[in-house]
Amino acid sequence: MDDDNKQQDTEEGAASVSEDVTAQLRRERDDYLEGWKRAKADFINYKKDEIKRFSEFGKFATENLIRELIAVLDSFELAIPKETDEQSQRGLYLIRQQLDDVLRQYGIRRIEAKAGEPFDPALHEAIAEVEADAASGTIVEELGPGYFLHEKLIRPARVKVAK
Amino acid sequence: MAKILGIDLGTTNSAMAVVEGGEPKILENQEGNRTMPSVAATSKSNERLVGLLAKRQSVVNPKNTIFSVKRLIGRNFDDPEVQRDKAWLPYDIQKSENGGVEVKMGDRWYKPEEISAMVLAKLKADAEAKVGETITEAVITVPAYFDDSQRQATKNAGEIAGFTVRRIINEPTAAALAYGLNKQKNEKIVVYDFGGGTFDISVLEIADDTVEVRSTGGDTHLGGDDFDKKIIEYLVEEYRKQDGIDISKDALALQRLKEAAERAKHELSTAFETEINLPYITSDASGPRHFAIKMTRAKLEELVAPFIDKSVELVKNTVAEAGLKISDINEVILVGGQTRMPAIQEAVKKLFGREPHKGINPDEVVAVGAAVQAGIFQGDVKDVLLLDVTPLTLGIETLGGVMTPVIEKNTTIPTAKSQVFSTAADNQTSVEIHVLQGERPMATDNKTLARFILDGIPPSPRGLPQVEVTFDMDANGILSVKAVDKATQKTQSVKIEASTQLSKEEVERLKQEAAVHAEEDLQKRELTEARNEAEQAIYLAEKAVREAGEKVSPEIKTAVAAKIEAIKGVKEGSDVGAIKSAVAELSLELQKIGQSMYNQENGKPDNPDAER
Repeated sequence: MDDDNKQQDTEEGAASVSEDVTAQLRRERDDYLEGWKRAKADFINYKKDEIKRFSEFGKFATENLIRELIAVLDSFELAIPKETDEQSQRGLYLIRQQLDDVLRQYGIRRIEAKAGEPFDPALHEAIAEVEADAASGTIVEELGPGYFLHEKLIRPARVKVAK
Repeated sequence: MAKILGIDLGTTNSAMAVVEGGEPKILENQEGNRTMPSVAATSKSNERLVGLLAKRQSVVNPKNTIFSVKRLIGRNFDDPEVQRDKAWLPYDIQKSENGGVEVKMGDRWYKPEEISAMVLAKLKADAEAKVGETITEAVITVPAYFDDSQRQATKNAGEIAGFTVRRIINEPTAAALAYGLNKQKNEKIVVYDFGGGTFDISVLEIADDTVEVRSTGGDTHLGGDDFDKKIIEYLVEEYRKQDGIDISKDALALQRLKEAAERAKHELSTAFETEINLPYITSDASGPRHFAIKMTRAKLEELVAPFIDKSVELVKNTVAEAGLKISDINEVILVGGQTRMPAIQEAVKKLFGREPHKGINPDEVVAVGAAVQAGIFQGDVKDVLLLDVTPLTLGIETLGGVMTPVIEKNTTIPTAKSQVFSTAADNQTSVEIHVLQGERPMATDNKTLARFILDGIPPSPRGLPQVEVTFDMDANGILSVKAVDKATQKTQSVKIEASTQLSKEEVERLKQEAAVHAEEDLQKRELTEARNEAEQAIYLAEKAVREAGEKVSPEIKTAVAAKIEAIKGVKEGSDVGAIKSAVAELSLELQKIGQSMYNQENGKPDNPDAER
């Protein structure tokens, strides 16, 4: 009788051990399969992203160049009104137009901030606040234009705002 | 399991990253930038603004634009730090009911954590837009010297923003994680963090399961901004000497000067001299005035030397406070944009006598480390998933004794790559696959791993058969090479044990050898390729003449034969240029065959020019 029980115990013991091992293996297997699926999904998503990235790259490859050029464009903006000789002034103006035309082909748009317009931090950067005969929070003077590259604002217009 | 966001919530700027495909990746925000100003504001029109937009209107709204709130979070109002900052921060600060700090923004008083929560909320929204899924958990970094109250307040900020904060980790620890130094047990690491507004030093020790902070130091009011200020002061002074005008009073001139100073600072990290060029900087009675001045790296270093020297002294103090000597330090990490400056890198290298780690973008390394920690929580970084790379290029020998790579070095394994090769001679019925490992272009200079033969290829003109060779390396580094003739499907393969694995030192040595011989190897390869091209050209030319047969005049045949002889004459020599031009001449001569045949079709004589 005892022997039978012992044998049964051992069998049950063996069965439960093997159950534990099976359960653990199942868990491990599920873990690994999940991980594998995840890695595969990440890869597929990466490939999809890459298509987006390439088109972004194409559009914004010139972004660095444009950012550097903006300081040069600013100089033109400042120079034009200061030239007293009409021909020189016109000359500078035309050079600026040339630059503008080229940049427009690459998706650069200038935004000009006009006096009287409300200050909008989505488009403008306030450089100074001044006393003025204008409604508070409106633009008094544009110190430098802003630039869009396609739909991305790469330099806000620099403005003086009324107190 | 959803992605967990790693966040570097900085005093001046914040950044965020997630683990994607096992690698941490910085996420761009809605404006397309990799970092964001840690600024919140209530605009004049009562709009809540966060980040870049808030910064843009700070000049017209200083009282309601809250920046550097990290200096106040979790502190008591009576803290000397708070009192010191209160004196210069333009917004209102008061004591809260429980002795903490409150700031005024708009018409309300806020706790600093509520302001940080606004910054975190924008990061959350932008991250979700970027990854296309909801993010509910985050790992946020704080300075190592933050106490319990500051850490708790930061955690609260995260929860207010809608995150479950998995962990608050120390910034220097995050930096160590980013470089994988957390695996180097018992090592002592110094993190030198020179940011925009603060300078932090941390001495870490890598324990069994954790990263311990042995000591911290620094200067909470020393940063890259001070460098910019010094440069601007210098430029204002130089201009005053030149034209007698103080341009610091002119808002636009000052703004342009600031931008020029920053640009100059960046350029002088790679160039020895730069020009600061500001046309129409101002004007006086005589008309417009311009400012153009050259600035050398030496001058910049002279201007900022006191700051750098101070930082070195502080490092020495902090290491001493940890009870260590400078020579006890095993690794140094550079964090913060300012550490791009060569003078700083030199100073740190000189102090510790070793190269600091600076490979990861110093503005992003803390966010990257936070993402690594997030990845560990996500289970993305299971040890069992740590993948190796194959350290040396694997390939086969091709025409002319050249090694053609099939798996490039540093390719992550397991991986499989295939290429299709062909025969070198007419009626060649077998190919020898000579498997090689190494970086040199010529087969004999590399290590032979195996050789085998695939035969039974149907007799064909050279270049016609298609033999697909597949290299398959498993995660254990065991390489299988298989060759299949696409026509007959005959296959031959070989398996190479990873016992050919070389030690790190041997791999380094082989790479060095390749670098040293690169020049001469390149020439050898060019010569071989030129000779291969020459042989191909001769083969095609002879074939073309044969096929044209009677349709081509003897003059043309003789001319072509002469060019072929010319090539044969230089082919065995080592003048690549001569071989190439001989091949080009043959090519021109060959075209006459085609021209002649088409002319005959159209009834035109062979030599129209002769008629005139």
